[in-house]
Amino acid sequence: MPVLKAENVAAALREGSTARLAQDLPARFVCGQRVRVANINPQDHTRIPRYVRGHVGVVDSDQGVFIFPDAHARGEKVAQRLYSVRFTGTELWGPQGKADTAVYVDLFESYLAPQ
Amino acid sequence: MFVYHAKLTGCRTEVLSKHKHNEPLPETVLRVKALESLLVEKGLVDPAALDELIDTYETRIGPRNGAKVVARAWVDPAYRDRLLSDASAAIAEFGFTGRQGEDMVVVENTPQVHNMVVCTLCSCYPWPVLGLPPVWYKSAPYRARVVAEPRAVLAEFGYTLADDVEIRVWDSTAEVRYLVLPMRPAGTQDLDEELLAELVTRDAMIGTGLPRSPRA
Repeated sequence: MPVLKAENVAAALREGSTARLAQDLPARFVCGQRVRVANINPQDHTRIPRYVRGHVGVVDSDQGVFIFPDAHARGEKVAQRLYSVRFTGTELWGPQGKADTAVYVDLFESYLAPQ
Repeated sequence: MFVYHAKLTGCRTEVLSKHKHNEPLPETVLRVKALESLLVEKGLVDPAALDELIDTYETRIGPRNGAKVVARAWVDPAYRDRLLSDASAAIAEFGFTGRQGEDMVVVENTPQVHNMVVCTLCSCYPWPVLGLPPVWYKSAPYRARVVAEPRAVLAEFGYTLADDVEIRVWDSTAEVRYLVLPMRPAGTQDLDEELLAELVTRDAMIGTGLPRSPRA
């Protein structure tokens, strides 16, 4: 692995390294669709926060195709579509939640099932 | 942690002060030092590059970048439209690109909607426009509470919104990074872009604050 030298820091930071992929994949979900988040509890990496597991939300936007981090953590580069999903406060927190608050969570396609 | 605690009042302070285990421990500092010397000794890390990285985010890349973006959006409706439809490209017009800002989304505050940003899984933050995150942004109490009771968290930062304003919290769980476009404060119609940028605080772009009022 090449060592980052001081003179290359500015260029490396400016360029960055996107996890977005040019590859196109069919979209399984459309905006406005109700989806339920998988309730999985793997020992290794996932990007599903515990507080949305098993909960129902509405697809707010299609963010495009990215490297799927759960597989990437095992060294595999898999392309997957990412969505921003909206959850109401009452869906997530029950009577203690507020209907006038919502949380938007970026969730990969394989975390979601049609509801 | 200190900044966040300082903003809390009354019983909240007491409740959160029990969360001392979330503060960085001397043990962590020792571990970082040990790792750093090991990496340097093995030639895997160049200490001059580390100094350059720290200097970059201490003196060159910070929330003043984001403030310029926000001020431009306030004075130039076409720029605002570009910012909301393709934030990465619109921000790149200023040259603010790169690490942790590769895929940006800008969310706009309106009289009906107030946006707040968090990373509940760790500390994801849009570096090219805001620099490195403040300590409270990475603290467990902020991350846990802002998704459950954003209005209460905002109140502890000193801001109370009308009851009919919807609060939207954006959790940066994947690779998209969020920036809040706050509302332009009233009484600023005579200010130019440069003076407007001075009103834009870091917290206003995270959503835990609002821009300053002119002459406040």
